[in-house]
Amino acid sequence: MRIHRRTLAVSATLLAVVGIATAVSVSVGDFAIPLRDVVPAVFGFGNPDSHFIVRALRLPRALTGALVGAAFGLSGAIFQSLARNPLASPDIIGITAGASAAAVAVIVWVGGSSTLVATGAFGGAALTATAIYLLAYRRGVTGYRLVLVGVGLAAVLHAVTSYLLTRADIFNAQRATVWLTGSLNGRSWDHVRPVAVALAVVIPVAMTLGRQLRLLELGDDTAKGLGVRVEPARAALIAAAVVLAAVATASAGPIAFVALVAPQIARRLVHTAGATLVPAAVVGAALVLLADLGARRAFAPTELPVGVVTGIIGAPYLLWLLARANRIGAGG
Amino acid sequence: MTRDHVELRGDRLRLAYDDRDVVADLTVDIPPGQITAIVGANACGKSTLLRGLARLLKPKAGAVHLDGHDIHRLPTKDVARRLGILPQQPIAPEGLTVADLVARGRAPHQGWFTQWSPTDEAVVVAALDATATLDLADRPVDDLSGGQRQRAWIAMALAQDTPLLLLDEPTTFLDLAHQVEVLDLLAELNTRDGRTVVLVLHDLNQACRYAHHLIAMRDGAIAARGRPADVVTAALVEGVFGLPVRVIDDPETGAPLVIPKARTGRTHGDTVAGNGHRARSL
Repeated sequence: MRIHRRTLAVSATLLAVVGIATAVSVSVGDFAIPLRDVVPAVFGFGNPDSHFIVRALRLPRALTGALVGAAFGLSGAIFQSLARNPLASPDIIGITAGASAAAVAVIVWVGGSSTLVATGAFGGAALTATAIYLLAYRRGVTGYRLVLVGVGLAAVLHAVTSYLLTRADIFNAQRATVWLTGSLNGRSWDHVRPVAVALAVVIPVAMTLGRQLRLLELGDDTAKGLGVRVEPARAALIAAAVVLAAVATASAGPIAFVALVAPQIARRLVHTAGATLVPAAVVGAALVLLADLGARRAFAPTELPVGVVTGIIGAPYLLWLLARANRIGAGG
Repeated sequence: MTRDHVELRGDRLRLAYDDRDVVADLTVDIPPGQITAIVGANACGKSTLLRGLARLLKPKAGAVHLDGHDIHRLPTKDVARRLGILPQQPIAPEGLTVADLVARGRAPHQGWFTQWSPTDEAVVVAALDATATLDLADRPVDDLSGGQRQRAWIAMALAQDTPLLLLDEPTTFLDLAHQVEVLDLLAELNTRDGRTVVLVLHDLNQACRYAHHLIAMRDGAIAARGRPADVVTAALVEGVFGLPVRVIDDPETGAPLVIPKARTGRTHGDTVAGNGHRARSL
């Protein structure tokens, strides 16, 4: 495939933004660390206090944010391209809703550790995705069926989550609510590792499948004619996107709208049609990092969960998208 | 460039959607190096046959053979280097430029790790040039007129660079001038490169004019096949389309020209209408 120069330039610029945002995120806080000390502290030099704060507290948080954002962005890009619909992202079609319902169930019924909650969330996402795929399957899976079945299932799962919350005691309900908002608070290396590993595996897979994805965008018949094995390729792409969304949700909760918005921002920045996987991932990372910075600093010393900020940005975008789809009358 | 001919043959095909049989037991040979047109009334199975031949639809029984091998047992990418198919209503993502669309036609020639090569570039430019879409290269496909868009899609199929090209109703939705333009282009590709072209056509007269070989279908079976001049008769057309016609020689090309018979009272002036009616002059 041809790679556009603009895509490279945009991706490089965005990567720089992610790098700077990470550094700033590590530097600011109640105990401010000058930017120039950040890099030495990361490698264990300089003042031992700042070195502890950076390495044990702030760096894992920033890295979790970047990785989770990248995973959401990539997952959203794959779903939107497969469904040919900008509304099809894991947070709209029920995959993060499945993760949420399962995570809240673990919090309310088992009250387990955050690892257990994360495992539950991953399982919930995978289960929901399988259910959506099977329910939408009819001689293959088409975009609209996927979106409609997903939206329906998401409604059911939201109801389950609400029910669980009403049955929970106040402490668990509060813990569940914070989790549901999506938060990077108190993220440690234990949170970084699973997302990093998942991304290390899935990103190369998704990139190689990206070629097939661009051909699937031309319709199943054209893709088949161009030598794509349509159903296996689509199943593999869905699996990759689900794993990304599931791991990300398991690590940081369902951070709202990142998967929905990031691919669209990326598409507009690089000016190409169709899937833009790398830029979508980098935009996702930048979005979550910047939103988390805002969430931490806007009402300092009170820290908001990052999901509040992404929600404030994402909700108007969703409304605009719906209004526009309505006006066109086709909805993509 | 003259190319090696590829042989395509459908052998005792049964083609069905779910449980509804469209084509029951059909054997067909596509003559290499020629233009073959598949014609017939709506729902006679002509598009289904094309989809079957292009391995888009797997036969319930029988097999399609490409150079003697069962097409469904060959690696699909391998097939894609020999056989190109332009489906009836292809979709382009919003904002995709013509150049990017045509570039995607190179996919079967690229491996997992091979990047865009100078050959790819040259073939794409040639495809744009042949379809007169070079000037449109940077325009989004969804901005184009119907004729331009169809040419862009044909350019994509050309970029695939296959000796065999199948097209499903490439002229539908185009006005007459654009229909002729597209058919002339396909005829030129056939004479210049020796490309085998198979197309489903609605217009019987266009089929007669452009095809070397005609396949007329009725109810999922072949009603007649051969040179248009040999097979197109009033009886055949009436059998296939259920319409009384006269067949005369096309004054431009000498190919058969099919003219529906006039209904009573609908003739104008000086006709030599075969149905015996002579209307008043206007």
